[in-house]
Amino acid sequence: MWYFRSPQIIFGEDSLDFLESLDMEKVVIVTDKVLAKLGLPSLVKEHISDAIFHTIDEIPEEPSFSDIDSHSRLPESFNPDTIIAIGGGSVIDSAKILYFKIMRPDLDYYSLTPLEPLNIKGKMRFIAIPTTVGTGSECSWAAVVSDREHHRKLELASPEIIPDYSILDPRMVGDLPDRLLKSTVTDALTHAIEGATSSWRNPFSEALAMEAVSLITHNVKLALTDRKNLEARSMLQISASMGGLSFSNSQIGLAHALGHAFGSLFRKPHGFSVGLFLEPVIDFNSDSVANIYEKLNLSFSGEFRKETLKESIASLLKFLDAPAVIYDFGITREEFISRREELIEKSLESTGIIGNPRDVGRSDIEKIIEKIGR
Amino acid sequence: MAKFPSEEWMNEFVNILKSSETYREAAKDWEGDITFIVTPESSGERSYAMWFDLYHGECRDAKFFDDVSKVPKSAFSYSGPLKNWISLIEGKIDPIRGLMTGKFKLGGPMMKIMRYTKAAKELVNTAAKVKTEF
Repeated sequence: MWYFRSPQIIFGEDSLDFLESLDMEKVVIVTDKVLAKLGLPSLVKEHISDAIFHTIDEIPEEPSFSDIDSHSRLPESFNPDTIIAIGGGSVIDSAKILYFKIMRPDLDYYSLTPLEPLNIKGKMRFIAIPTTVGTGSECSWAAVVSDREHHRKLELASPEIIPDYSILDPRMVGDLPDRLLKSTVTDALTHAIEGATSSWRNPFSEALAMEAVSLITHNVKLALTDRKNLEARSMLQISASMGGLSFSNSQIGLAHALGHAFGSLFRKPHGFSVGLFLEPVIDFNSDSVANIYEKLNLSFSGEFRKETLKESIASLLKFLDAPAVIYDFGITREEFISRREELIEKSLESTGIIGNPRDVGRSDIEKIIEKIGR
Repeated sequence: MAKFPSEEWMNEFVNILKSSETYREAAKDWEGDITFIVTPESSGERSYAMWFDLYHGECRDAKFFDDVSKVPKSAFSYSGPLKNWISLIEGKIDPIRGLMTGKFKLGGPMMKIMRYTKAAKELVNTAAKVKTEF
């Protein structure tokens, strides 16, 4: 027995218009300063009439519990009927945790597990509007939070924090800078590869992953070279949601376990951090899921497809200027060695370890990180 | 072949656990006891428990109970009805997915268990390695 869970997804041109069909009186908007400055929350608000807003626009990149906690106490008598997340993974994940804390102030953050009912679903509407093309958080029931004290990322999850609606309006990613587009596409690609091959994979996660890879590889070049091409960006948005649905309905794997630990220790962006480990992890898993890797490879567009999945991914990551070794991140060998043990330990604590299709031990991780430690 | 649940089965489980390098490595910092509980499927049926004292990758002690009220309070518990334990031992249920689908229940502080998911999985997976009769 297993489940397939998904929000209702509204996508394509003018999809923000959907907001006009909902009755909203008191709305919490969760976003960040940059997006607020760019006017994206204002664009969303234009589609909501006669509502009172409480805007939280101070979500930092890779937020910690304390970054989120200060916003969980709403003004007296402000009882929201809707929470809207407008942003990338950090914002949407923070909104999931705020949604939980607003509904259940009596519980601590560690109650956010898939093992116990929270009884919050349906009591407040939750809408996610992504502004990047990779997180997949708008379609997942996971939330990643930084634990800065222990230099790790906590992977929280509950089916009750999945958004009710995900709105993929291409205008929200129309001005996404190239570097952010490349990093988040790398994230979406990693979600698809790991969602399709996790030990909890299923026909839904595989199918969505294959299509996500196809959409990414057929549209990424166009989205970067023709910045006015909203159709290509829309396809990347959809691919990101498909990647999110893929891993959320199966599991993340070793590239995420390593990428979360690496990103947290060295404070590097999530997308490129997980992408860094994609090729060595494919090498490591290749005997366990060879047939799925072959199918994933066939989903690549002709432009990026090579003989093997690993080679195809290398060609795509090169196009995306994704770092392939620590040097590309500006990390010295000495810095890396000094935190190597922590990297191994934190990786072993990740839930990605149990979702990986091949059993992973400490010595395996040592060999994998040696490949990127140049 | 050991009958499940029984003291003999528990001892076999402990032997396999002690020889597991994978478990020892994954649980090298773990401190805390855990009880496996076989809950009754209908009223009048008996419940059983196996208590394990786990410390830094070692199982220091284990006890079998055919009266659950006598089990010492442990840091963690993993409980489910016999039919689900049978499926788990036969490898038909993944121990973590078993929790997520409500076939098993986990008791204890989540904050701690989240850091030891591999150790927890290895521990329960070891049950599938015991040659068992039902």
